[in-house]
Amino acid sequence: MNAILQVSNLRKSFGGITAVNDVSFEVREGEILGIIGPNGSGKSTLFNCVLGQLRPNGGQVRVDGRPTTGMRPCDLNRLGVSRTFQLLQVFSQLSVRDNLILAGQEHQGSMYSRLFGRADAGLGAVADQMVEFFQLSHLASEPAGALSYGQQKLLDAAMAFMAGPRLVLLDEPAGGVNLTMLAHLRERLQAYHAERNATLVVIEHQMEFVMALCTRVLVLAEGRVIAQGSPNDIRRNPIVIEAYLGH
Amino acid sequence: MNRLGALAAAAIFAVTLPFCLKPYGIYLISMWAVLTIAAIGLNLTLGYAGQVSMAQGAFVGIGAYTVALLMQTGCPFALAFLAAGLLCFVLGWILGYPALRVQHHYLAFVTLAFTTLVFLVLRNEEWLTGGTYGINGILRPVLFGWSTRKPLNFYFFSLGVLIILSLATWWLLRSPWGRAFVGLRENPLRAASLGIDTRRYTLMAFAIGSGLGGLSGALYAPLVQYIEPGSFGLSLSFNLLLMVIVGGSGYFFGPYVGALVAVLLPEWTQIAEDYYLIVYAALVMVMMAFCPSGILGLIDRILKLAWRGNRPAPALRTEGASS
Repeated sequence: MNAILQVSNLRKSFGGITAVNDVSFEVREGEILGIIGPNGSGKSTLFNCVLGQLRPNGGQVRVDGRPTTGMRPCDLNRLGVSRTFQLLQVFSQLSVRDNLILAGQEHQGSMYSRLFGRADAGLGAVADQMVEFFQLSHLASEPAGALSYGQQKLLDAAMAFMAGPRLVLLDEPAGGVNLTMLAHLRERLQAYHAERNATLVVIEHQMEFVMALCTRVLVLAEGRVIAQGSPNDIRRNPIVIEAYLGH
Repeated sequence: MNRLGALAAAAIFAVTLPFCLKPYGIYLISMWAVLTIAAIGLNLTLGYAGQVSMAQGAFVGIGAYTVALLMQTGCPFALAFLAAGLLCFVLGWILGYPALRVQHHYLAFVTLAFTTLVFLVLRNEEWLTGGTYGINGILRPVLFGWSTRKPLNFYFFSLGVLIILSLATWWLLRSPWGRAFVGLRENPLRAASLGIDTRRYTLMAFAIGSGLGGLSGALYAPLVQYIEPGSFGLSLSFNLLLMVIVGGSGYFFGPYVGALVAVLLPEWTQIAEDYYLIVYAALVMVMMAFCPSGILGLIDRILKLAWRGNRPAPALRTEGASS
């Protein structure tokens, strides 16, 4: 299988703290890779370096073999790489439907053609399908800020999928979501993965969620990769158990 | 439908009102139409795209001087009008660059400095602007043989321009650009991660907003027929900011209402003579404390309450397992 994302020797430090220390890994086309690790192990910093929110101090990121280190987030997104953030990031004053259209519109035509084109950038039908897929149809015209936390999390994920990306990085999609909603979210992510053959990378603390969803798991501790393998291997790996329970 | 009805009523009112007014009244509502254009521009930059600007008054000034100076050289009004808009569009684009680095209060200071700079140029570069004496006897344009010299004609001319620019702004804001501007205001980090080129949209928000400021100035000059640097100092920028906020920042019709308040209130409080500023300031303070979303925000809230009182609970609570 082809590597859709290659990260090699990535390094990022803040002052004296090295948050990401010489991290290398690959994400293969069509897999669901879970990234786990204790708090402060550098998971989110890793995402931010890969996706251009932060500039790494060293190392390289390649998408489809093409170097993307230092690229702007918006340009990277238009290459088909999408993400969610750890903290909820929806546009609370826009309606659910407008949130979704906004998430896809910049992939339609040029900035100037959008000015004179249709108000929904031709994405109305896609947005309706997406709200249906994530079972938010009854809320489509509500402002996103009026939704419950769990629903906003679903919308947040839906927005990352709106432009039909090939690679989606989800930063704690399950954080703060109750169990019913969680099962729903997992089922929707799996369904999307199966339907579109999308590649997913998921940072998550909720172990059951990771073990049930992911095909492969990577473990970070203190900014380094300490283990990777199938969910079952990781569960039994003494180094991983040590990292979580030790110190 | 309600909205269309209100709009139609406002349009009929705007057309019939001047026939019941003396020239000074017509002058005031012309001023309203002209300043509304600048406030619409600022509402786009600040209300929709979330970029604080204290420079809108300076752009009105640049627009006014551009038209006055070009018309002195015999340039037709239509051309001078477009040149004013274009010049301010370009200058607004340039002023947008600091916004890529600083936000909120810091951006306010940067734009404040720009306003001061423009004021100093207008005052000191006498060879061009006439300095503190300003420019006298600015002619009102004749369009296709129709003279706008009479107050009534100039009012309808300004109203026409206001309507055209309003429609253009409405088109812009309902296009994907409007959505991108709101995205920029609400969450620039997330917007960038969704492929929205925040840099270009920020610059565009400044450029278009400033361009509208310039067009407003282009009408301001022939309306007052005498311009001087003092009219375009910090107080005009503050005033325009107040119009946007008092009317309802981020509401399409906010600037119309805000400009109306700003133009009429000083007249109505004439009885209080020197206390006008105190009355105005007190009103703004009360307003900001109890209704930060402005007059339209207040009306919006009241309408929503009334709406909820009349109808069964909205479909928001259908969800059983909320977190």
